[in-house]
Amino acid sequence: MTEDMQREFANREQMVAYLREQFPAAATRDDHISETLGGRKPALKVLEKVDAARYGKSRNFLTGAVTRLSPYLRYGVLSLAEVRDAVLKKVNNKDEANKLVNELAWRDYWQRLYAELGDGIWQDREEYKTGYDAKDYADTLPEDIAKGTTGLVCIDSFSRDLREIGYLHNHARMWMAAYMVHWRRIRWQTGAKWFLSHLLDGDPASNNLSWQWVASTFSHKAYFFNRENLEKYTEGVYCQKCPLYGHCDFEGSYEEIEKRLFPKAAPFENRSGSQSWQQGKRRR
Amino acid sequence: MSNNPIVWVHGDCLSPDHPGLQKYPNAPAIWVWDDALLEEWQISLKRIAFIYECLLELPVVIRRGNVATEVVNFARSHNADLVVTAESPSPRFAAICDEIEQSIPVGVLAVEPFLDYDGYIDLKRFSRYWKVAEKYVFDSSDRSL
Repeated sequence: MTEDMQREFANREQMVAYLREQFPAAATRDDHISETLGGRKPALKVLEKVDAARYGKSRNFLTGAVTRLSPYLRYGVLSLAEVRDAVLKKVNNKDEANKLVNELAWRDYWQRLYAELGDGIWQDREEYKTGYDAKDYADTLPEDIAKGTTGLVCIDSFSRDLREIGYLHNHARMWMAAYMVHWRRIRWQTGAKWFLSHLLDGDPASNNLSWQWVASTFSHKAYFFNRENLEKYTEGVYCQKCPLYGHCDFEGSYEEIEKRLFPKAAPFENRSGSQSWQQGKRRR
Repeated sequence: MSNNPIVWVHGDCLSPDHPGLQKYPNAPAIWVWDDALLEEWQISLKRIAFIYECLLELPVVIRRGNVATEVVNFARSHNADLVVTAESPSPRFAAICDEIEQSIPVGVLAVEPFLDYDGYIDLKRFSRYWKVAEKYVFDSSDRSL
C-alpha cells in the first residue's frame, strides 16, 4: 500500500514544488504550470462570467467571448447539464443560448461515441479522403513543431501556448491539426497524443474524434484553411509579425490550396454530404 | 444498500456533487493516480497540477500506483463491503471496475444526464445526434428551472 499524498499546502507554489518532486517524469516532459486554477470554486467563477449571446457571435475569433469552461467540463467539476441550466437562466431568450448549448452537445456526443467505440477512438474511423493512405502519414512528432521553431509565427505560438498554458482556442486547435496532418502529413494520432499530453481539458474522445474530423477519417472531407481565414479570426496578431507573410504555406485560395495539398484526391466540392467550416457549417 | 461502502473518485467526476459523495457523505473516499496511464499518455505536470487542485476541494485520500490494487486495499482497510463510484465511458474505467470486482462489489452511480432521453440515437455524424438531441436538451432544463 502506498502512503497518502500530501493535502495541506501553504500556497500554490508549495503544491507545485511538491508535485515536481512527486512526478519527476512529468516535470521533465514539460515543467510549465497553467494559470488556470483547478477546483469547483474557480469553475463557478468562470461559469458566472459566461456570456452566451456574445459567445454565439464571437466564438470563432481568438479574442471572442469563449467560455474557458472546458477543463472543468472535462473532469466533471461542472456537468454539462448544470452549465446548460445556468446559461439558460441568464439569457433573455433561448435563441441567445442556442450556439453554446449546441457546443455543449458536441461534448455529450463525443462521450456517447466513446462509450460505443472504446479504444477504437484511436483507430481511423474511415479512410482518409485526401488521396493518401494511412501509411503515407508520419508517426513521429517533428521537433520544429514540438519546440515551436517552424518559423510560422501562428503555428509556433500555438505550440508554445499548448506547452505553456495547456489551452488553445478551438479554432487554433483546428489550424494546428490541419497544419500537422495535411501540410506536414503526420498521422492524426501523433498530434492527438501530443495535445493530450498538454491540454488541461484533454479528453480522449473529444480530442481524438476532433482530430479525425480534421484528418477526414471521421468526416466527408479534410478540414484545411488559408492565410486569409487565419488572419481574419486572429485579427492579424500573428500575420502582422510573421516574416513569412505573403509567402507562407497558407497563401492562396481554398481551391489552390486543395490542389496543392491533395493532388490525388477528387475535388471535395463535388462530393455528396461535404461539410465545411469555412463556409459556415461549424463543429464542436 | 451497503452498510459500509467506500467511494472511489476518478477523473471523470471531480465535483463535490459526485453522486457517491452525495449518497454516502460519511464514507471514506479515495483518488488514485494511475501511474501507468500518466506514462502512457505522457501527461505533463500542468495537467497533474490542475487535477490536484480539484482533489484538494474533495474529501479524498490521495494515493498512487495501480488503481484497482489501491482501491481494494483501501476498501479492505476500512472493512468495506462495496466500492461506489461514478459512471464513465472510458474503457480503462471498465477494466479497473472488473479488476476491483474480483475482490469486492462495485456500485456505479449515474451522473446527471445532459439529455433526458433514453431512446436510440444514431451517432454516425453529429448532425444525426443533434436532430434528436435538440428536441430534448432544452426541455429537460425547463423542468429544472
